[in-house]
Amino acid sequence: MTFLYKYKKWMIALVVLFAMLLLTIFLKIDISVLFADLHYVTDLLNEMFPPNFSIIWENNIVISSIIQTIAMAYLGTLLGGIIAFVFSLIASNNIFRNKWISNVSKWLLSFIRVIPSLMIVLIFVVAVGPGAFAGVLTIIISTIGTMGKLFTESLENLDPTSANSLRATGANKLQIYKFAIWPEFQPSFISNLLYCFDINMRSAVGLGIFGGGGIGYKLYLAMRVLHYKDALALITCIIILLLVIENISNFIRSQILR
Amino acid sequence: MIKAVGITKKIATGKVLLNNISFEVRKGEFVGILGASGAGKTLTLKSLIGLMDLNAGEVWIEQENNQHVDIYKTKATVLKKLRSKIALIFQGYHLVQRASVLENVLMGRLGSISTFRSLFIGFNTNEKSEAFKALERVNMHSFANTKVSALSGGEKQRVAIARALFQQPNLLLADEPISNLDPKNAKTIMVLLKELSQLFPVIGVFHQPDLCAKYCSRIIAIKEGAVFYDGQPNLDEKTLEAIYGDELSSILS
Repeated sequence: MTFLYKYKKWMIALVVLFAMLLLTIFLKIDISVLFADLHYVTDLLNEMFPPNFSIIWENNIVISSIIQTIAMAYLGTLLGGIIAFVFSLIASNNIFRNKWISNVSKWLLSFIRVIPSLMIVLIFVVAVGPGAFAGVLTIIISTIGTMGKLFTESLENLDPTSANSLRATGANKLQIYKFAIWPEFQPSFISNLLYCFDINMRSAVGLGIFGGGGIGYKLYLAMRVLHYKDALALITCIIILLLVIENISNFIRSQILR
Repeated sequence: MIKAVGITKKIATGKVLLNNISFEVRKGEFVGILGASGAGKTLTLKSLIGLMDLNAGEVWIEQENNQHVDIYKTKATVLKKLRSKIALIFQGYHLVQRASVLENVLMGRLGSISTFRSLFIGFNTNEKSEAFKALERVNMHSFANTKVSALSGGEKQRVAIARALFQQPNLLLADEPISNLDPKNAKTIMVLLKELSQLFPVIGVFHQPDLCAKYCSRIIAIKEGAVFYDGQPNLDEKTLEAIYGDELSSILS
């Protein structure tokens, strides 16, 4: 026992390494393939260069699908955020006094959260057909899952004293929501929502590949018909778009949380 | 006027927390409740607003129409109305940090305006100027649009008192209002509370017998859940020792 305790760190390192080795064998990973067939990658890169940026202005479909992607993320974040807020009011047991109902909605939120969004989009593509609508619905659902948990946690961490003192003066529940809870919760609500918009932009691009519409779908099409020069131009557009959005949302969040 | 008659509270183990406490406080009185830790000071205060499940006792509070009501035997609607006329201030201020000073003061009257108006219309200019006057009373009017989170402890407690004032209370209860404050701010708050006791009875729980002797008009000392002393605020060494026991050295600074 003392032996184990003394060499605990080494034991853990050994176990981790051994597991790595076993799993590599299990997945039949052969690193040499990457180097032996490296010419596939260089060939692809050669095909892609130089990127054909002219598709952006030659064809207004690119611009409109970029706007479509932004719109998907915007609508999905806003609608999902509002639904998540209502959910979290019920799920946080310091605000909603019925333990039973708040626990059920907590359980529902974690159920929504564990479904991978790629699975959700596949379902919606079947239900409403491929396109932006399926993408928006998917983003709404995944936003409810992630934001619902974050909102519930920040609501449960609010200082209850101000709400209690208003209750003592005879204020009712709705008044306490508006005057004590909302002002304290609002900054984290907006900043979490902006952060979520950031994430949803990325997933809106990714969902496009699975039939969710937008710029991601255009990229998927370009790759399928082997227009690699167009594809690289689209990839560059997407990266710039995501960088711009991320910086804007970081800037706004730093202003709010000051 | 508020009158407590034989307040008694026991817990399941049979231990008596409050033992037959009775007193009466009128307008013009500033009563300081003293006692060692765990003696039952805060419990006494809590029982005055009907927040406790008493085993015995009555708490009579004077209403607008000069009638007296026992808050433990009245209807919920009357109780709500009574509570909207009892102002409370606390050691931890209990303000909404991210709202402005003026907004916090306005919240004092949420209990007396209609829910619809408070949610969708807001407070009218008349109420706003009254709230501003309450802030002038505690000398905080120049901070009206500042967020509470930017204030110091003494300033927050003054805002809490302004909120209490705006509530137009018939009674002010204070739970260790100066325990977090430095001596200068503590003095300011005590002066304010003393002045307000001319408008309505003020009852506060304190840990500072020296300040109480200076500003309170009367002291009620609680020991082991019962009233041990009730009278003039200047307590002699012997009485203080009897109230606080071993704690006395840490209380006197």
